[in-house]
Amino acid sequence: MNCSQVYELISEAVDHRLSGDVMREFEAHLSKCGKCLSEFKAEEMIKSVLQYRLPRAVIPSEVYNAVVGALAREQQSQQRSWFASLLGSPILNPAVAFVLVITLAVGVYSLFSTSSPKLPNDKNIISQSIKNYAAVIAGNIKPKIMSHDAGDVENYFKKDVSFDVSVAPTNGCDWCGGALSEFHGVKFAHIVYKFGGEHNVLYVYQTDLEEAMKGEKIGLPAKAKDALKKTGWYFEEKPGKYNLVMWKQKHTLCTAVSTMGRQKMIAFLTGTGE
Amino acid sequence: MALTSNTKKIHKEFEAEALPHMDILYNYAMRMTGNPDDAHDLLQETYLKAYRFWDKYEKGTNIRAWLFRIMKNTYINLYRKTVKEPDTVDYDEIKNFYNTIKDESADPNDLQEKLFGQLLDDEVAKALESLPEDFRTVVILCDIEGLTYEEIAEFVECPVGTVRSRLHRGRKLLQGKLFEYAKSRGFIGKD
Repeated sequence: MNCSQVYELISEAVDHRLSGDVMREFEAHLSKCGKCLSEFKAEEMIKSVLQYRLPRAVIPSEVYNAVVGALAREQQSQQRSWFASLLGSPILNPAVAFVLVITLAVGVYSLFSTSSPKLPNDKNIISQSIKNYAAVIAGNIKPKIMSHDAGDVENYFKKDVSFDVSVAPTNGCDWCGGALSEFHGVKFAHIVYKFGGEHNVLYVYQTDLEEAMKGEKIGLPAKAKDALKKTGWYFEEKPGKYNLVMWKQKHTLCTAVSTMGRQKMIAFLTGTGE
Repeated sequence: MALTSNTKKIHKEFEAEALPHMDILYNYAMRMTGNPDDAHDLLQETYLKAYRFWDKYEKGTNIRAWLFRIMKNTYINLYRKTVKEPDTVDYDEIKNFYNTIKDESADPNDLQEKLFGQLLDDEVAKALESLPEDFRTVVILCDIEGLTYEEIAEFVECPVGTVRSRLHRGRKLLQGKLFEYAKSRGFIGKD
């Protein structure tokens, strides 16, 4: 080996990357050449200065926690942005968003407030469900809770609702959201499932079956009431607009509305889909 | 119909894969920025970006290298100073210096103690910070993190040969810097 060959190998020698044979040749040269030896020693020294004088900085726990916290906030804000996409405007500019916020506030008030003058005229659960579905699509019903875990949403209702609310597992959907409202003293659980793809929202409306059947505060059209009594199910369809599936679950009346096909809705709601 | 996978699952997956590498990234951030506040900002920004682009990460590939590249780009965007050529070092002066020491000390292992042992850790850190980015990065990854040339090549996306030459050049520049400090502190005679 000559000086220039040795010079090329200095870094690898310092980092112990040379094979036995090459290293022996390298060392043989150093033993005869003071210039190359001092080059080698100098680089070796720099490496050890770095290793011993600049130990690895250990991450402080508060920095670690801050990053984990920032990620959690990021996750939440991504969920919010998915909700914004559920509002159905691919060109959601600030002006549109502002209008949506206004309608959202007004919409939630008129739908959920017991003192709303608009609602007492409409006790019909079916037309109410369809209206609510439109409100969900338009962003006028905003979930109070959003989760990937159906259990979280179910627990949210448990505290405040006398009837059993069952939230289908979120298999295959991005998240589900829940909101609660009251109308003439009757509680309603609203559940929204958000999917990717074209038919991307499934809205479920659950309330007290007994109240619905009594028909005092809220009510059902005769054909729906009959079907529920006989089969436990009632279906309504407006091609291209919506598919409505209504069923009894113990003491709860459930109504699902979506543009999805009926079979697909049932498969999802009964946990046999995807 | 392609369904977007569920965020909670993604979040858990990201945490499990990416959080264990926060140590190495923090250390790199510290060495690149030179102070804890900037290192914190750089680290956090890197993780947020990685999280947002998690779907771009190819499962099964080197996640440390992927995170590292995000950090490096983030660093460049946040802290890019005017790109300057590496300071020129007077190698003759260094050579003379070694010759001076050689006379004084028979054992080359004493060199470090004799010269750089007297420098403050801050001075060593400052010397490292003064290196141009490309050189500094390979020096940090090799000499402080202890990565292999092959790993570094994957991190910085360049051939192993380039890693070797940057390392050599980086160490050489550092040597020059430390020599200047030592000289300015009067550890080395100005003969």
